[in-house]
Amino acid sequence: MEKFNTLVQDLAPRKFSKRGVIWTSFLLVLIILGIIAYIDQLIKGQEVTNMRDYALWGIYISNFVFFVATSFVGSVTVAILRLTKNNWRTPLVRIAEIISVSAIIMAGITIMIDMARPDRLLNLFIHARLQSPITWDVIIIPTYIVISLLLLYFPLLPDFAILKKHFKEKSPKLSKWYGKLSLNWTGSKAQKALQTNSIRIIALMIIPVGLLLQTIDAWLFSTTYRTGWDSTNFAPYFISGAFVAGVGALVAVIYVVRKYRKLEKYITEQHFDKLGKFLVLACLIYLYFNINEYLIPAFTAKKGEAVHLDTLFTGSYSTLFWLVTIVGLIIPTIVLLFKKGRRPLPMFYVGMIVVIGSWWKRFIIVTPTLLHPFLPIQGVPESWHHYFPSLHEWVITVATLAMALLMITLMVRYLPVIPIQRTADEKNIIDDNNKNLES
Amino acid sequence: MKNCKNKYFVLLVIFSIFSMFTGIQTLNAQTTEKNKVRIKADYVKIMDSISYLDIAATSRIEKQNTTVSNIALTIHNETEEEEIEIGSTITNSKGKSRFIIKDLNTLKPDSTFTYTINISFKGNDAFKKASRSVSFKNAGISATISEKDSTNYISASLSDLSTNSPVEGESLTVQVQRLINPLKIGEEFNSTDENGTILVPIESGIPGIGGNLNIEVVLEDHDDYGTVKKIVRAPVGVPIVEESTYDQRTMWSPRNKTPWFILIFTNLLIFSVWGIIVYLVVNLFKINKS
Repeated sequence: MEKFNTLVQDLAPRKFSKRGVIWTSFLLVLIILGIIAYIDQLIKGQEVTNMRDYALWGIYISNFVFFVATSFVGSVTVAILRLTKNNWRTPLVRIAEIISVSAIIMAGITIMIDMARPDRLLNLFIHARLQSPITWDVIIIPTYIVISLLLLYFPLLPDFAILKKHFKEKSPKLSKWYGKLSLNWTGSKAQKALQTNSIRIIALMIIPVGLLLQTIDAWLFSTTYRTGWDSTNFAPYFISGAFVAGVGALVAVIYVVRKYRKLEKYITEQHFDKLGKFLVLACLIYLYFNINEYLIPAFTAKKGEAVHLDTLFTGSYSTLFWLVTIVGLIIPTIVLLFKKGRRPLPMFYVGMIVVIGSWWKRFIIVTPTLLHPFLPIQGVPESWHHYFPSLHEWVITVATLAMALLMITLMVRYLPVIPIQRTADEKNIIDDNNKNLES
Repeated sequence: MKNCKNKYFVLLVIFSIFSMFTGIQTLNAQTTEKNKVRIKADYVKIMDSISYLDIAATSRIEKQNTTVSNIALTIHNETEEEEIEIGSTITNSKGKSRFIIKDLNTLKPDSTFTYTINISFKGNDAFKKASRSVSFKNAGISATISEKDSTNYISASLSDLSTNSPVEGESLTVQVQRLINPLKIGEEFNSTDENGTILVPIESGIPGIGGNLNIEVVLEDHDDYGTVKKIVRAPVGVPIVEESTYDQRTMWSPRNKTPWFILIFTNLLIFSVWGIIVYLVVNLFKINKS
């Protein structure tokens, strides 16, 4: 009984420390600045951005693609590890689910930010053409949001019941909320059967839906017949890229949460080691697809594609391209191949580098292609030949990233970041109060 | 008396100054020279249809040829005895105008059966007056389509209608009307024989709407007859098969023509996934109730 209480004590949500308050306030300031910039964008129109006739997709879209990619962590870590019965996943899955939910919600919001007339959002549904990948995207994103929320919520039910009891005296108001969210969970056989069955279904379903989400995201580009996007390789290339971005984000967030919540007992170095192996596998697969994506066109490129590749390899985007490839992918792969590289702190740095690299990688995928249309750019001001985001775009984009981090922060604050009931079950720690109900 | 003399002297000075300014003003006006207008006119006759004059007005201003727009031109029919006004026209923004001769029979030829049309411009503040005469005789082209040894031929005859005599040794162009430029068929030069006739084979396989070809026989810019054109509509082409997918269900059709496989597959996916989601939400209610 004491062991169970200690477990709950360790894993139950805690109030923000001073650092937590500062961090949340900082995120709120960034979000408020972003909202102000967005209102200005709504009033003045997209002219406040640097998107013009040619670079009509800027960092909003690359940021959207980044969020979609990061949300893939839910499918990969949670579902795959669950179905393959890798028990070491337990302390990691909740954080993966939280990242997945935050990222996919922000992907939906970001795509609306890119719309010059968000008041016409409903037209996407009213006038939807099922032939268009845009329509598929409009359908798949809300679907993935709902599935991700369900994947987060179902395993939380027993934990909410535990937290209801835990906060009964400490914080009756919070206890009441946890009680409502627990849906009268008692741990009865019927409830457990329904929950287990539902989680299995979601775990099965989220893999193809996650793959579909990444594939559709890739098809948004590859069905446009543009230099750099017109590739049959694009969907697996995006899936493997999402694998890297998602696991990278997971590593970085887990490190911070582990340190902040002092969960070293539950999230051990062994977990980082396994995640490191997982990430190196993701990086190697992604590297393979990168070679396919750039090396083969380098041999076979026609004039238009050759100009595009020159810009990436030796031209105006070469610094960013090689930084993203070498620092964001090759070096992390090498570091992770060594056991020392898979320890928590190096893994955190690797995770951060991989996430930042993944963000800029999306920028590299989106922008240079738009600046290399088949017909030459003519009759437009010189500034339209190039693209670099405006201050509005930066402020709004940073705000969306801050929103995602705020969502993660708030969920870490109010949800048990490690499944309490499941950990207790795995460690054979019995809650005597619920013993009768569970049996 | 002396005062009176002074007064006259002052008046004389003022008058001289005024005269001097008047002189300068005149001088200035003389320096702004009017530009010359060049008028070009071509006579075109389309058999069984209209005859017209294609007029173009240009001017050389500051060493550059410039079109002269919006100037009024008067058209006269000239004979040895008289000059009859037959109409007027105004050049468009490109300096061009087409004057349609409603009925050639209303015009009077001279003793050599030559019609002379004079196009004149009265001049204005910017341009000097100008005129141009065009002379032509009335010619006609008749054409028929025939088939011999599975080959289609067009036979055309050029004749001088004022004397009703065939015109020998003139080159006629045979061409098929196309969207941008006509497609020439036959030899480069098809000279008329002593009967004023040419015979040109029509290549097989030329596409036309409904298999119809509009074949033109043209006497181009002749010194005596101007341009004379005969258009024959002949069903000797290959019918154009319209390859439009407008009514088909394609990937690029509007939403009401979505391909069936997309409709079925996408809806199957949507309803399957959302069906499962509904089932899961129902499970949440069941958990709540149990």
